[in-house]
Amino acid sequence: MSLSEIETDSNKIRGEKILEVIMSYARLDFSEKTIVSNKGDVYDAIGAGVNMLGEELKSSVISLREKEQLLREIHHRVKNNMQIISSLLNLQTHNIKDKNFLALITESRNRINSMALIHEMLYATTDLSTIKLKDYTETLCKSIYESYRKPEMKVNFFVHIPGTIFLEIDVMIHLGMILNEIISNSLKYAFENNEGTISISLNQTDTKYYLSVEDNGKGLPTGFTKEKDGNLGMQLIYMLTEQLNGTVKMESKGGVAYQIEF
Amino acid sequence: MEIPANYHIYDLTCYWTWMGADGIARTKVKPQAEVTLKESLENSAAVNNLYVNKKFPLLIDSRPIKSISKEARDNFSIKNRSTNINSFAIIIESPLSRIIGNFFMGLNKPSVPAKLFNNEQDAIAWLQQYL
Repeated sequence: MSLSEIETDSNKIRGEKILEVIMSYARLDFSEKTIVSNKGDVYDAIGAGVNMLGEELKSSVISLREKEQLLREIHHRVKNNMQIISSLLNLQTHNIKDKNFLALITESRNRINSMALIHEMLYATTDLSTIKLKDYTETLCKSIYESYRKPEMKVNFFVHIPGTIFLEIDVMIHLGMILNEIISNSLKYAFENNEGTISISLNQTDTKYYLSVEDNGKGLPTGFTKEKDGNLGMQLIYMLTEQLNGTVKMESKGGVAYQIEF
Repeated sequence: MEIPANYHIYDLTCYWTWMGADGIARTKVKPQAEVTLKESLENSAAVNNLYVNKKFPLLIDSRPIKSISKEARDNFSIKNRSTNINSFAIIIESPLSRIIGNFFMGLNKPSVPAKLFNNEQDAIAWLQQYL
């Protein structure tokens, strides 16, 4: 074997070693480094470059993991603090008989819980930034139902939301509050005989979402206008939708139906 | 880069460092130097000791270098530490020093004016504006 053949073989081995290290970095395994010889040739230059890239990548990955951990911790604490506020509100209701006051506390607690649920679900996600709307809505429905539930009440929820829809926290906070208000209003006012259904669905086009929430209750009183007769919850529905650059259509035909486009 | 005779030279683990007669400090990497944070701190201290009454430019000959760790690069980028240099130029002629120099400038982004050069004359000409 000639000297040049030996050198070719040696360089082939060096090239393969460098490739192995690159592949281990691609797997985020930083235990390996390329060996830089004393030749100072192109293979050494590439090897040194790969080593430095690996060091920078490792540092970035560690920094990213630490930030993720911090963000997770923040969501956890926000959720805990909101639950403490909710519990404090609940404590205020002890020995109180005033129904209006109790209703006010329940409404406030549900609003807080709709936001706390977002933070609770966020710290359980891997990307820490988006929420699966279907899961959130189903959990929110159960939570609101429990807060208004009377022994004789039997309301069924039908949630038709594709499992592929994930929304950012800013949108979710608004949407969670909107859902909370609509569902709460239905549970409070729609069902005279304490039975009925609430259907929630969401469709998506390239640029918009269409949320539909409807109950099969008694509908709105004749001559009802949101300006004159609407409660704070209804004002919130319109205000929060506007903040999402969306529009609301409310109809009362048999039950109350909201069509929200955002 | 020639190491001058009859000069006070800091003979460090990985560097020779001294103040040139023209007011430009010099630091020359030793052959096959593997620079870690320890050696970079040692050199930074030597460079800072060259200060008399005003900040000065620094010429670095990195051609014989073998490797430099991330911690050492971070130290040389002069972030979050005081320094007596107001600029530096790095001579990168070999493939290895060229890669290391470009990585350093691109990823570590020094906080004083810094530039890579293929030869000593151009580097000195550029540094003279900082005298």
